[in-house]
Amino acid sequence: MSGADLVERLAELVGRPISDTGPTIAPDPINQPMIRHWAAAFEDWNPVYTDAEAAAQSRFGGIVAPPLMLQTWTMATPLITGIAERGGSPTDVSRAAVLNLLDEAGFVGTLASNSEFEIVRYLHLGEMLTATTVLESVSDEKQTRLGAGHFVTWITTYTVDDEVVGRQLFRILKFRAGDESS
Amino acid sequence: MNEPTAPRATIDWHTVRVGDAIPPMVLIMSPTRIVAGAIASRDFMPVHHDRAYANQQGAPNMFMNILSDTAYCSRFLTDWAGPDAMVKRLAIRLGVPAFPNHDITYTGKVTAVERDGDEGIVEVELQALNDLGEHVSGTATITLPLR
Repeated sequence: MSGADLVERLAELVGRPISDTGPTIAPDPINQPMIRHWAAAFEDWNPVYTDAEAAAQSRFGGIVAPPLMLQTWTMATPLITGIAERGGSPTDVSRAAVLNLLDEAGFVGTLASNSEFEIVRYLHLGEMLTATTVLESVSDEKQTRLGAGHFVTWITTYTVDDEVVGRQLFRILKFRAGDESS
Repeated sequence: MNEPTAPRATIDWHTVRVGDAIPPMVLIMSPTRIVAGAIASRDFMPVHHDRAYANQQGAPNMFMNILSDTAYCSRFLTDWAGPDAMVKRLAIRLGVPAFPNHDITYTGKVTAVERDGDEGIVEVELQALNDLGEHVSGTATITLPLR
């Protein structure tokens, strides 16, 4: 594929949902076991996440999910077998077309670069979260300290029963590993 | 080494001033911390738990995932501001990677203080450094109930 073809095919994807399979629905409702696991991993002892009595006395009126856990609820449940062979993609079907296109063009390395959250409200136990992600932009080819690459930016809108509870801009660099000389 | 502690009482918005420093937070970086954060945030990319895989990708070791970075930024903010603080916005940019054995120090300061009805708004800028350079730079907005 020529560079011009790649740019054209990437441009066709911009502004569209990154997945053909529709919005991502969290496999489980907001729940205490996953919150407790998260809080322990990050040693975040904020009582509104795990102490029902303290949380009831807080402005939130009860246990809430850590706000920056928002992205975690709708992460794909991974198929562990073969994950390295799939380049870390959790499942066969979860990969966005834009990433496949860049992989095929040799930009196989992936590095997160920016994450920007707007938290509209905190989430309570039992709520079901849905994430809808649209490809916002793909940069022209840039020279980075890792090699040549494209910055890919998508915007995710998080909803509970169609109510927007948060938004996220996420940007990654897809780069050609070991390409520093170019 | 600062031990993880429960956040203290929620800070009083009326006492917050532009230029106030947020108490630093130090993370002792181990492979366990990186793996624990990756799995708790449900990010199973092998570069965040498999050193050999990371080596194949050109990295000298496994490194922390960005979901862990945003999690630690949130903890840094609420450890200071307290349990009634609400994180309304967080925007970070990643610089050098966070590897095992390269401890990270978070620092930050207040850049604006505003009031919106019965809520106090505090804008901050924050930074996380290790011995390789700037790992995270960012800005955040928290709100505090007025009393």
